[in-house]
Amino acid sequence: MSSDATSRPLPAAPRPATPMLRQILEQPTLRRAFRGAPLPVRLALVVVALGFLAVNVAIGALVVSGRLDGHWYDFRDLGNATGGLAAWLDDRGLGPWLSYWVTALIGGLGILSFVGGVLLIGTWVERRLLAKFQIRRGPNRVGPFGLLQPLADALKLIQKEVLVPLGADRRLFFLPPILVFIPAMLGWGPVPWAPRMAYLDINVGLVYVVAISSLAVLAIFIAGWSSNNHYALLGAMRTVAMMVSYEIPVSISLLSVVLFTGSLQLSEIVAWQATHNTWLAMILPFALFTFFFSSTAEINRTPNDIAEAESEIVAGFHTEYSGMKAGLFLAVELGNALLVGALVATFFLGGYTLFGLEEWVPPYLILAGKISAVYFVFVWLRGTLPRFRLDQLMGYAWKFLIPLSIAFVGISAVEASIFARADLPGLVVLGAFGVVNAVLTVVLVRFWARIAGYEAPQGDLAQPRLTTTVGGLRAAQRLRITR
Amino acid sequence: MDSTGIVVGFWVLAAVTIAGALGVIAARDLLHAIFFLIVSFLGMAGLFITLSADFIAVAQVLIYAGAISVLLVFAVMLTPLVSRDNGNSLYIAPGALAGLALAALVVFVAVDADWAQLSGDALAARSFPDTAATIGELLVGRYVLAFEVASVLLLFALLGAIVLVHERRDDDAAAARAEDGAAGDEEAA
Amino acid sequence: MTFASEPYVLNIGPQHPSTHGVFRLRVAMDGETIVDMDMIVGYLHRSMEKLAEERTYTQNIPFTDRADYLAAMSGNLGLCIAAERLTGVEVPERAQYLRVIFAELQRIASHAMANGTLVSDAGAWQTPLLYMFREREKILDLFEMTCGARLTTNYMRIGGVAFEPPPEFWPALSELVDELPDRIDEYSELLTDNEIFLVRTRGVGVISAEDAINGSLTGPALRGSGVPWDLRKAEPYDVYDRFDFEVPVGRGGDVYDRFSVRFEETKQSTRIIKQAMEQIPEGPHKTQIPLALRPEPGEVYGRVESPRGELGFYLVSDGSPAPYRFHIRAPSLINLSLLKQLAVGSTLADAVVTLGSIDIVVGEIDR
Repeated sequence: MSSDATSRPLPAAPRPATPMLRQILEQPTLRRAFRGAPLPVRLALVVVALGFLAVNVAIGALVVSGRLDGHWYDFRDLGNATGGLAAWLDDRGLGPWLSYWVTALIGGLGILSFVGGVLLIGTWVERRLLAKFQIRRGPNRVGPFGLLQPLADALKLIQKEVLVPLGADRRLFFLPPILVFIPAMLGWGPVPWAPRMAYLDINVGLVYVVAISSLAVLAIFIAGWSSNNHYALLGAMRTVAMMVSYEIPVSISLLSVVLFTGSLQLSEIVAWQATHNTWLAMILPFALFTFFFSSTAEINRTPNDIAEAESEIVAGFHTEYSGMKAGLFLAVELGNALLVGALVATFFLGGYTLFGLEEWVPPYLILAGKISAVYFVFVWLRGTLPRFRLDQLMGYAWKFLIPLSIAFVGISAVEASIFARADLPGLVVLGAFGVVNAVLTVVLVRFWARIAGYEAPQGDLAQPRLTTTVGGLRAAQRLRITR
Repeated sequence: MDSTGIVVGFWVLAAVTIAGALGVIAARDLLHAIFFLIVSFLGMAGLFITLSADFIAVAQVLIYAGAISVLLVFAVMLTPLVSRDNGNSLYIAPGALAGLALAALVVFVAVDADWAQLSGDALAARSFPDTAATIGELLVGRYVLAFEVASVLLLFALLGAIVLVHERRDDDAAAARAEDGAAGDEEAA
Repeated sequence: MTFASEPYVLNIGPQHPSTHGVFRLRVAMDGETIVDMDMIVGYLHRSMEKLAEERTYTQNIPFTDRADYLAAMSGNLGLCIAAERLTGVEVPERAQYLRVIFAELQRIASHAMANGTLVSDAGAWQTPLLYMFREREKILDLFEMTCGARLTTNYMRIGGVAFEPPPEFWPALSELVDELPDRIDEYSELLTDNEIFLVRTRGVGVISAEDAINGSLTGPALRGSGVPWDLRKAEPYDVYDRFDFEVPVGRGGDVYDRFSVRFEETKQSTRIIKQAMEQIPEGPHKTQIPLALRPEPGEVYGRVESPRGELGFYLVSDGSPAPYRFHIRAPSLINLSLLKQLAVGSTLADAVVTLGSIDIVVGEIDR
């Protein structure tokens, strides 16, 4: 290049579009898609949007005019609001179906928006907490305190190409990211958030929860099978095997809950704990442990995350999923952790009650606090523990959790019948049971471990020997003899 | 069959159930057939809900859609690849016969049942609010013998399965090897 | 009654979270059990040994940074010692101490990395790794302070070291050395009392002392099996014979032993550094050598104890400024050769942990 090339002024031409920029500019946007749609579709979209707006305005108007009967403004129980709305709709003579649909819609949207919102926040919380455990800072760039990081991640994932591996079962391959969401959402149904605030307060709620959670395994299996990838298949088979094994301890541990509370209905279980001023966790420590541990196995959390053990099988069943499909799997994982948190809180930690505090604080906030507490334990475990091996985990379920759970079901059956017949004050009896069960837990666990021939591995005994003389095999043998 | 919601629900669920069942027959891939079967199971669960049998519905999901299907999946995964084709089968004729017999049974029950007793006010008078409790009381009360027999049967099935797949212990295996070796020696001699 | 199942092939790597680089295992698996294994190396081959034949001895030092990129100082030291033995260049005493200090710092950093990734392979979600990175970061800061680079240090020279450490180096070093033993105790408390980690590592990937010697393993992999062999003691180079330190030796030869041997070695390295800081004399940090060193025709094998084992350099000179033959005895490659024997018959999870405990660096294997 000659020197006058540098002295020449730079051309002021507009920056030419790079191929990627051109691609982006040619991408269909929402607006373009709307304009390109046929007239009926456009009309329908407009109607839906207007309807949504109208419903909101109507609810707002009802609220402002004070037509909503009852204590809708009583934020201690949001169930009052929908109840009032339903009653008002019934009064207008619009038929029970309308009030049913309206309340169902509100409840469903409530769960969806809660879970969706919490998923966004939860990702951030988990990453920040893990960062704290790991002496890092965590996401802190996007938005205040990095709060918008999950949103940015989601946007990135949505933009990514969705790859379908060669030889994949295409029809099945697209189903699982959607299917896994169904149990994760349906499971929230029977969880009571306040005395009148349960979406699906059926009288077999407990069995329903167990049944719904067993459905997730199918979606995971389809994902692993249809990917045409050995890692994915391994992950899927591990998940299925774990699910089959750990469903049993979960069910058995919940049996003792049912024995004490005498109901399968989640709101009844909470009410029982509230009336007796106790938490089932205090009476049934082993059941709590079994449920919690088995749940970590079912939802793939550390220390039982072998189904997506990244150091072994990359990402397990969702190895081949890219873009938002992988994102959905990750989101569901988080959602499941929260759901398990809600179930642990409901079954064992008194649900939305807190020894009378629920009269002053909105009960749903108490439940949210308990869910967060359990979720924190999940994150804590993830930040601390290594993972088990598959055979160890299976052995733990079959040789340890199941026999001991069965033993504890027997024990709690005896205790429940004593409790039902005894004339003593409930708190005394329950307190005695709590102490007895805590002692029995320790004793039985140790006893069973001894019977099963398990010895805790000793790290201290294996500390290396120190020597100053070096040598080969003979030196090694000499060292071995001298200890 | 009073409200429109129930009627609509019934027809939709019936369509899903039958479509799933047809899919089981039509699907070429054995795993697809299993997934269709699960759809059918879930449709059945929905039908139970329309009958207010919530415990049965949940049990259907838990046992059939959740557990049985997993067993089927395992069974298919353990079969060699070549036999994972849901194509022509030798059992078309017997299968059709069995299906016809079952259909005849269902038709007979449907025709024979006294539907007047099972609808309207009569049904309302016989209904019970808490299905789970009622079923539980019946199981350990009136039908306790059947219940116990079933549980003993299941226990034996469980033990049989364990015995079948149980690997011989090392000393047993060594003894077996020694026997084999002795037999071989004799033959050699 | 038995269930017959067909083995299938699983490709672990070249891109896989636990292959520690671009290393590929082609594994035949039966369910979760490994029945056969092929180890495929060479994805990182850069033709280092051939390229070295065209460069002078000093110009070859940067290659050793890139061979074992987690222990560049040890690589530098190995080549320098071999070349000094070939040419007979004298090393000033202060330079020898500096070399020891930096090599031991490198050992701590490398062992921190090795143990951290091992625990990550066992499934702890990076927490121990990041804790150990805290110390490694400080060591890399010291390197940067001294020679401007963190990983590819290119610090040692034939006849000394390249630079005198800056004045702020010494306080930072003594601070680090003071806090290191506490930190190491903290980490071993986090892991040795952890029953999950113990059941994952005790009795897994057991190498007997005989197997280890027959496989010519070196480094922590050999010492974990109970063989007290350390070149710093057996064939002291530089000033290692002036320090009081002990060689940790494992008891069973399993993954946990290799892990704990590394921890203990880190403590011993701290001891060595402390003593070196006390003993280090004043003086020049290198001798002047001609730009193009022309050794007499001949051959030499120089070896040092790198964090991964015996790192040897075999140099043949034909009297020209460039080596006629330049061969690296890479400990990772030779330690890795036993993996197949260990992994076949075990589960995938155990194989991953065993691979992590052998602590390979693919740059060194492929060269």
